[in-house]
This record gives sequence, C-alpha cells and structure tokens, in this order.
Amino acid sequence: MIDLFKQCVTMSIPLVLIALAGFFSERGGVINIGLEGKTLLACFFSVAFSSKFGPIPGLALTIVATSLVSLIHWLLTQVYRMDHIISGMAINLLAAGATSFFKFKFAADGLEDAAVPPKMLLYALGIVAPAAIWWMSNKTRFGLQHRSAGSDPDKARLLGINPQNIRFSALIGTGVLCALAGSLLIAETPQFTDGMTSGRGYIALAALILGGWRPVNAALACLLFGAASALQIQYNGQYIPSEAWKSLPYLVTLFAIAGFLGRNRTPAGLGKP
Amino acid sequence: MKVLGLIAGGIILFIASLLVAGANPVTAVSQLITGSVGSASAVSGTIREMTPLLILGVSVFLALKAGLFNIGAEGQFVIGSCFSAATMLAIGGPLGVVVGVLIGAIAGGLWALPAGYVKAFRNGHEVITTIMLNNIAINLTKWLASGPFKGEKAVSASTATLPIQSQLTPLIKVGQFELPQAVVVGILLTLGVGYWLSKTTSGYELRAVGANPTAAEFAGVKTKQVTVKAMFLSGAIAGIAGALQIAQFEHRFYDGSSIGYGFDALGVALLAGGNAFGLFASSFIFGALNKGGTSLMGLGIDKGITTMVLAIVIIIFAAVKYRQKGGQHD
Repeated sequence: MIDLFKQCVTMSIPLVLIALAGFFSERGGVINIGLEGKTLLACFFSVAFSSKFGPIPGLALTIVATSLVSLIHWLLTQVYRMDHIISGMAINLLAAGATSFFKFKFAADGLEDAAVPPKMLLYALGIVAPAAIWWMSNKTRFGLQHRSAGSDPDKARLLGINPQNIRFSALIGTGVLCALAGSLLIAETPQFTDGMTSGRGYIALAALILGGWRPVNAALACLLFGAASALQIQYNGQYIPSEAWKSLPYLVTLFAIAGFLGRNRTPAGLGKP
Repeated sequence: MKVLGLIAGGIILFIASLLVAGANPVTAVSQLITGSVGSASAVSGTIREMTPLLILGVSVFLALKAGLFNIGAEGQFVIGSCFSAATMLAIGGPLGVVVGVLIGAIAGGLWALPAGYVKAFRNGHEVITTIMLNNIAINLTKWLASGPFKGEKAVSASTATLPIQSQLTPLIKVGQFELPQAVVVGILLTLGVGYWLSKTTSGYELRAVGANPTAAEFAGVKTKQVTVKAMFLSGAIAGIAGALQIAQFEHRFYDGSSIGYGFDALGVALLAGGNAFGLFASSFIFGALNKGGTSLMGLGIDKGITTMVLAIVIIIFAAVKYRQKGGQHD
C-alpha cells in the first residue's frame, strides 16, 4: 500500500509540473504540443549542467536554458506568426534530434550521487505549484491579464494589454516548469536516454484538457493518470493487459474532447494572434 | 528580412552543432550527399525511405487541403500495417496482398474517423484527438502483435514473416538499383489525389471547406460531412502506406516498426506547399536525409543531426508559408 502510494506520487508529480507548464502557455493563447520536446531538453540540460556544476547551479542553469528554448517558441509563434501546431511539432523534432546528437558529448554518463538534482525540493514544488498557480491566475493582476490574452486577445488589446508581451512571460513560466519536471525525472533516474520523457508531454496535455484548462483540476487529472500507471506497474498486466492501462488516459481525454464529460472549456483565444 | 534571419540562424545552428560535436561540416555534408544519392544502392535506399513518406505525405496533404492537421498519420499507418499483415498472413499469396492493402486502407480510415467526427460535430481540435489516437494505436498494435497476431516462432511482439509469394518484388532491378512497386503505387496515388482535388466537384468542395468553411457552408457545401470524409480518406491513404510497407519492405509487423514516418510526413506535406506534385520533391528530400543520416553513423556522427535539419527546414518553410494574419501589426 505504501509502495503503491509512493509509486503514484513518483508518476504524478512530473505530470503535474508539465501540465502546469502547458497551463501557462495555453491559457495565454499559445497552443503547446511542444511540451514533450521541452521536457526532453530539460532532462538533457539537467544531466549536462548538474554533472559539471553540481545540483543547485545545475538546476538554475537548466531553468535558464529551458526558458530560452521556450522563448524560441514565443519567437516563432508571436514574432514570426507561425502556425502554433507546426512550431510545436518542430520544437519536438528539434529536441529529439539535438538531444540524441549531443548526448555523447555532454551527457554520456549517469550522474554521480552528489550531482543529482534536489529531489525533495522538486517534489515539494510540484505539490504546492497547483495552488500557487491557481492563486496567481485568479487573484493577481498578471493572472487576469494572462487569461484575457488567451480568451480574447483582441479585447485585451482594447484594454491596453499587449498579448504578445503577456505570452512572453507566460512562455518563460512554461520553460521554468518544464525545467523542474525534467530535473525531477533525472533525479529519479540519473541518466539521459533518448526519448526518456516517453510521451509524458502528451499525457500532461491530455490532463490539462481533462482538467478544463484549470490548474487544480489539471493536477487532479494528473493524479488520476499517475494512479493508473502506478496500478499498472504494481499489477503488471495481471488482470488487464498493461497496454490497456496505458491507453486509458488517452481514451478518457478523447471522450472529454468530444464533450461527453461536461462542456468544452477550450480557451476561446487559443491559437489566435 | 526576418525570414533571412531565420535561414541564417538555421545554418549557423547546423554548422555550430557539428563543430561542437567535433565533426567537420564539409565531410559531414559530403557524406550526407554520397550516402543518399552517391551510388545506385544509395539511391535505392533513398527511394525505400521515400516510399512511406510519399504516401503518408499524400495522406497529410489531403487533410491539410480540407483545413485539418492530421498528426494521426502515424497511428493510422501503424494500424494499417498491423491489420494488413494479419490479413496477408491469413489469406496468403498475391490475393492476400490485395485484400491486405484493402483491409489496411479500411482500418486506417476507421482509425481516423473519430477525429473527423469530433472535429465536425463536437468542435474538438483534431490535433489533440489524433495525438490521443496515435498513442492508443501504438498500445493496441503492441498488444495485438504480442497476443492474438503473434507469430509462432516470434520471440518479441511480432507477427510471423510473410510467405515469399506474398512479398512484393521490386518492379525494376538493374544491378544495385531497385525500384519498388510500392513507390509506383505512391506516385499513382499522388497523381490521382492531385487530379481529384483540382478537377472534380467533390475535390473542389473539400478545398472550399479548407479555405473558408463559412463561405463553403453558404455556398451549399455540407462542410461537416466533407470534414469527416476528408479525415477518413486521409486515414485510408495512411493505412495503404502501412500495408505496402509490410508487403514490400518489412514482410512482418512488429512493435516499433514505424520510426516516426507519420510525423515526418507532416513536414513532407508542408514542404510540398499547395501543390500535390511538390510531394515528389519533398518526400525525396526527406528520404535522402533519412538515408544519408544513417550513413553518417559510419563517421561517428549521430543521426540526430538530420532530425535537427528537418526541424529547421520545417520552421523556415512554415515561417514563410504558414503565417497567421490579424492581431496588432496587420
């Protein structure tokens, strides 16, 4: 039972961080299917920087580097006005290619124990993040401006808010949270392998959708998905094939998008310039 | 001006990456070229890589013309491969191949159908639904290949190997050069879809829905039905790609048999621009990069560099061609 609970936390918290990363960008109006790539890059940065500079400077540098990658996404969608879907796909491709290409040079070995990112700190951040972001989104000036940029960018402009600037900050938020998620994955398995995020970016996106683009609900959806995979690991295909368990989050999300689980809550300005 | 900056940025990123990894950019580029088009066997390898990309490119292209991003080509391809392999094994012989391709098309089309339905009638974005369907497809086919469809002698999740009568032979074979039948089917499909889209009423309706759904609706086009139809056809073509991949090249279905062809196909279709015939060039370029990337491994350069090149090409092209209008500065 304790094992199951622990497994559940281990599986869910990285998803929570990635889903909240998605919250920052999607509620600001930027469709983000690049979460997978950004988290993968964060894993790579975490190994590369932590092995050289130690855990805390490594974490700080990972946050800076992943935020810069996230700002490339801002540059493409807001300055170059590229289609959001294509730019997200391109970032995933770029991340997969670059990490595979550079891993022998910068992240060939596993991390030594002394260099592993601070696991407990990251878990703690993952646990308080949903509430903190809920507070930011509902109770602060920035939070309201942020949601206005994602709901109706044209009206936001009439009120003197520049959605492009808001999205700049929002995508830094995405980068920071992806960096935390990547570092957490590395803290659990301190070695970089190709494609080690194994679809977590997409599952987190699914959780964000299932949670109706609201931070606390999205975190609860992550918990649900995490619990499902914890059960799958515990019982390892004993009663139900493990592939069926793995498909569950995707299937549930499919029904949610189809509007069979409550009304469609897609932010109205998602993907609009 | 901005675009020139992007192109320069891309080239700098490519060269800097090679230098940082300790490789000589000149030898890398020349190896990339000789490895993909330098000899008869290299060209054959490029055509082999090009074949699924061309057919999947047609699939994504068709959906794109209807205003749909079919990111699900990967899933439809895998489903098509899996069910066609099982059919070909069950029926056997040349007839098995024909029925197998048909089943592959139907399976791929049906797999795309929920995305089309949700888009048309429930207003859910097709990108999200197809991403979900991709992941379900990969899990489902893995289960099928390790359970019901598993070959008797297979150790991992794989079907049995097709008997020799059910394997497609190359259409032309001169020395090291081989022209697979599958690529000919791909060329015919491209020409067919190109003709259908530009010269027939139903093709015109599909393009009208893609260009401006509201205007199409007022002109009397049943936009919802057209959306569902476009998604089904796109999925069916992706399924055909999967079936031909089995019959011509792989000869069995196994877990992980697609190396992301469906995702590359999105790049192929985008790079083709608005023109179906552009698919020939773009799938050839992507195929050459895939093949050349493998030959780079001989120089100790990771294949990842070609994936980066693909991403950069897509970014530059999309920045030129697929830009949004509206908002503050327009």
